[in-house]
Formats: sequence, C-alpha cells, structure tokens
Amino acid sequence: MGYEGKTVLVTGSRRGVGKTITQHFLDKGATVIGFAKGESSIDHPSYHHFQVDVGVPAEVQAAFGQIAKAFPGIDILINNAAVLTSQYAMIMPPAAAQAMLNVNLFGAFMVSREAAKTMRKRKWGRIINIGSMAASLEPIGDSVYAATKAGISTMTNVFAKELGPLNVTCNTVGITAIDSDMLAQLPRHKIEEIIAGLPVPRFAQADDILNVIDFFASERSSYITAQTVFLGGVN
Amino acid sequence: MISRDEVLAVIYAAMESLNEELDEGSKIAVAADTKLFGADAVIDSLSLVSIIIDVESGASDAFGFPVVLTDDRAINEPVSPFTSPDALADYMLILAAENE
Repeated sequence: MGYEGKTVLVTGSRRGVGKTITQHFLDKGATVIGFAKGESSIDHPSYHHFQVDVGVPAEVQAAFGQIAKAFPGIDILINNAAVLTSQYAMIMPPAAAQAMLNVNLFGAFMVSREAAKTMRKRKWGRIINIGSMAASLEPIGDSVYAATKAGISTMTNVFAKELGPLNVTCNTVGITAIDSDMLAQLPRHKIEEIIAGLPVPRFAQADDILNVIDFFASERSSYITAQTVFLGGVN
Repeated sequence: MISRDEVLAVIYAAMESLNEELDEGSKIAVAADTKLFGADAVIDSLSLVSIIIDVESGASDAFGFPVVLTDDRAINEPVSPFTSPDALADYMLILAAENE
C-alpha cells in the first residue's frame, strides 16, 4: 500500500512511535508534515517539520496558517503527541497532570479541528488517534494519562459523527507497551507485569501499530469509523 | 476602513461555495436576509459550520487580520451573529472597527 500524493500530518514526530509512523509514511511515498516541540530529527526531502507545542492553541493555529500556504491540505492526520507522568494521584504534580490534559487531549482536539477544515473541501480524510491500553486497563498511577486516552477514544467517536458526511473517518489505535522514550520513564517490572496479563503477552512491535494505521488509512476503510482497535488482546 | 459591501462579499462567497456542494433543490438564496441559524434556518448545522469556516478564512485573507467568529464572544452575543448575512456583517464590522 502506497501513500503517493497523500499529505500526512504526524504529531509528536520527533521520536518514539511518532518517528516510526513518520518514517513509515515517508517510506511509502507520502509527504509528511511533522509537529513536535523540539527540532527535527528526520532528514528526508518529503518531510516538513514544524516546531509546535500542540498544547498551545495559538501555536497550532499559526502552524496551520503556514500549512495552508504551502500544502493542498491534510489527507491523513495521526494524533500521536502525548506526555506521560505516572504517579499516585495524591502526589501527582498538578502541572504534570495539566500538561497531560493539554497535550494528550486538548492538543489532539485542536489539531483535529484545524486538519478537519482542510479535509472538508476535498471530502476525504482520515483521522487516526493514538490511544493506549491504559484507557482500558486503568493502571495505578495513570489516573490522568488513562483518562486522557479514554477521552481520545470518545472524542474520536464524536468527530466521526461530525465528519462522517464529509467522508472523513476517525478511529483510534489503542497501543500496548512498546520500547520507547516514554516507556523508559516507567519501572520496567511494572510494565512487564501488565504485559504478562495480556492475551498476547508481549511488547508491541512497530509493525503491530503500523498494520492498524494502514488499515484505518486505506481507501477500502471508508466504512470504518468511530472504532477503537486495541493491540495485544486488550479490550 | 472596511465597508459593509466588502464584508457581505466575503459572506456571499462562502454561501456560493456552499451552494456548489448542495443539490439543485437545496441551494440557498445568496441574500442579506437568508436565515442561516435559528428555528427558521434554511441550512443544516454542518452547512452553517461550512459557511463560518469559509467566512473566517476569506475575511482573514481579505482584511489582513485574523477574523475569529468562533470564540466565546460570538456565541454570547444577545442576537447570534450567525442568524443571517446581515447580522454576521454587523458583527464583523464591529470586529473590524476594533482592529483599526
């Protein structure tokens, strides 16, 4: 499956899962716009980096103003940017909790909002949001993170209703643990305990995630919307 | 100074753009008193959203400053600016005057 002629926006493109997804679309012929707080970590002629904090609405809107001048619109949006602080609620720093709400949920909302405007005219689009097993498993320490990821699924489903008439589908991939910078912040043994309890008791591989993204992004999936697909047997 | 005719031209362009997407029998009158919002609106909510987005974008390009119609202020106006092109033009002229 190729993505020639498609413009893909990936948030959190600088590292981890976002970088893997970005590289995947580039390898398949897409033009990729990346949003990340830091500088670009990807060197490719079809990659266009924007330094954006998705949790700041003005930065998101300013970036879309620039995109409107240089690109025909967004065909596929991957809302991947997320931050994670795992801590007992009673000692969770309020600023860390707020940051998770701003980036994981509000950021995805703002980017989807602006991207949907560009999909509207062309009557085609795919919004694919990166959820998490935390939304279903509700692990200790993840009160806010899990809530933001549950919120992502709900938000996605409402977007699906609003954008369905415009031939824009909206779905969520609920990913399990994958080796990344984000995962490295958590105690390894705790992650391994959670993984051991899954129907498919292993860490996710990049291709597990890319497989579902390709499915949601495909032309044939125009009748697939408002769905959350969890990996590894989480439900 | 931005004139009322210039503002209405932007609104009418958005309505024409909507008409291009509507079936022949559903096309709306491009006129100042066409009901866009409220009980007697001639378009559905998604079509209104479409007009608002096009007006925001068109007005920002035409007037040279960001025109935001979807903030709390617009929603809290005693008479909705989205009731008709006339009402929307009134509201946009206020925004333009504040920007000068």
